[in-house]
Amino acid sequence: MFDQLAKAKVLICVGSGGVGKTTVAAALAALFASQGRRVLVLTIDPAQRLKTTLGLPDSGEEVRIQGPGLKTETLYGAVINAKATFDDFVSRAVTGAGLGKDVAERILRNKLYLQLSTTLSGSQEFTSLERLYSAVNSGLYDLVVLDTPPTQHAIDFLQAPQKLAALFNDKISQWFRQTESKTGWLRSVVHAGTVQVLGALERLTGSEFMRELRDFFQSLEGWQGRLEDRVTAVHRLLVDPDTHFVLVTSFDAAKLQEADFFAREIRKGGYQLSRVLINRAFPLWRERLTREEDRRLVETPISALSPQLQLARQMLLQDDLRSQQYQEFVQMMARQCPVERLPELGEDVSDIEGVLHLQSYLMRQGDSK
Amino acid sequence: MKIQFVTGKGGVGKSAVAAALALRSAQSGKRTLLVELGGQSFFQHSLQTESITYTPTLVRPNLSIALWSGPECLKEYALHLLKIPQLYQLFFENAVSRSLINVAPALPELAILGKITSGPPRNVGPALPFDCLVVDAFASGHFLALLQAPVGMAEAIKMGPMAEQSRGIQAVMRDPKISEYFVVSFPEELPVVEGLDLWQKIQAQVGIKPVAVYNRCLPDLDYLSESSPGLRPWAEQMKQSLTQQKRFAKEWVQAGVNPLILPWVAQTTRGSAWPFVEALAQDPAWSALHV
Repeated sequence: MFDQLAKAKVLICVGSGGVGKTTVAAALAALFASQGRRVLVLTIDPAQRLKTTLGLPDSGEEVRIQGPGLKTETLYGAVINAKATFDDFVSRAVTGAGLGKDVAERILRNKLYLQLSTTLSGSQEFTSLERLYSAVNSGLYDLVVLDTPPTQHAIDFLQAPQKLAALFNDKISQWFRQTESKTGWLRSVVHAGTVQVLGALERLTGSEFMRELRDFFQSLEGWQGRLEDRVTAVHRLLVDPDTHFVLVTSFDAAKLQEADFFAREIRKGGYQLSRVLINRAFPLWRERLTREEDRRLVETPISALSPQLQLARQMLLQDDLRSQQYQEFVQMMARQCPVERLPELGEDVSDIEGVLHLQSYLMRQGDSK
Repeated sequence: MKIQFVTGKGGVGKSAVAAALALRSAQSGKRTLLVELGGQSFFQHSLQTESITYTPTLVRPNLSIALWSGPECLKEYALHLLKIPQLYQLFFENAVSRSLINVAPALPELAILGKITSGPPRNVGPALPFDCLVVDAFASGHFLALLQAPVGMAEAIKMGPMAEQSRGIQAVMRDPKISEYFVVSFPEELPVVEGLDLWQKIQAQVGIKPVAVYNRCLPDLDYLSESSPGLRPWAEQMKQSLTQQKRFAKEWVQAGVNPLILPWVAQTTRGSAWPFVEALAQDPAWSALHV
């Protein structure tokens, strides 16, 4: 299954929230590590139990993962702390540009920055890419697997860094600087249009908000180019031939439709979507059901079935429908990229055993191809 | 006017629960608006409705659906406040201000909440002719950020229209006669742990106890007794899932929360998800709510 990915240097697991990205990312990392490669998995906000069983410290430090049943010594992991990474990036960018520590502190204290650096506005996405970039450039790993932050839609992840870069764009800062004339701000006659727009913004938000906003943009002066440079460098890494995207999705008509849309978008953006993994696509018990049993459940009139068997029948019918939908989805995606199904393990997978179970399943699929 | 916010970890069935709540409200005779947040409509595909946009679309008697995104809400608010269309156009067609609006910290979030809470008693902007708003809101972390937006803004900015709006929005969101919160989870560790955490954080933030919805629960049956040998693996799986389900239900109860238990409902037909939503809405468990 994963021959195509044998040379990958970066694997990025994307998908909307709640589809099991973290576990799949860890399972993929474990799979490639078991082939002897040095693999780092970067996770975002994993389940406490997964964090504990993988032994990942909250500090965000990269550590070797050890655990019962794990037959590899080359699997590493780390948790991304978005706020700390973002603050750290900003501080380094500011001092790296030859500006004083006081400038950095002024930014980190700005009330709008404080809101910006929380979960909103794409800073989390930027941060995870920043961390990916550093890990790849450290030269310590053959492969880095990135688990991406939960977004409403899979595509949000790719758009976030550009959105953030747009905010840090020099044009906006200039715009705020130009209106700061000696006779007081908003008095400049040079850019009448700009002044009008800012005036509208002030009427909407109030002068205090505008002061914070102006302060924020002014404090970007002199180092914002570094953020833009980094966004560009990260983009180069994302379109590199050795970088592969894996879309993780759940089995849900709307989600599958989104997968199709996402595959197109990702191509348009010049990225490589190498696999769609439908997580929890079928129950494991189905494989172990005998044909006769299967038929008996479906053909017996509902009224003659006990409540238990009525439920079993409903589950069978749902699984049948999903199998059909799966085949259709595979065909629809045929020109885009290969699709694989992962089972509903029926146990809680938010620990290392779950990861290993999923890994063994990924491996089995590899053998059958 | 009632506002019901539905949240929970991604993938727990928030949208289905929100749709079921909205359907129940509409069936009880209330003019109901089901609100989706963001740029793409989920219900348009799943419920196979006409196109869902910013302006509410009537999909059933008493039930409309609308899709509200931050920039659109902000636009409407701007028009309401600026009153001069030319100025508004100048503002929103300016490339720089557009990109600023896209990311300006918490502005889109604030605008969305402003729109949701624009009915009585605030009465800001165009009238909302509904008795009940059901908001299919963001997932956990993002929802908390949404709740935090007016609080953070009111703290950062103490004067001016923005501060005033923020305080007005907060008052509505903290008013138990208007606002209700639903935290959806299902019987697995991550959704339950995240759900409990979310439940507590919402209560701390707005001072209202959310309704915990424990979704996709199996009926409490003796599965092993029913199984022929061929069905044994299924029965064992069900038994294991049921045990887990009870264990997590206990965690809710230990935290002082009595969850509303909704059944697992199969999706066995193609096409619209209405039959699914109807089945969910008909469940007797809802009667525990004072709808």
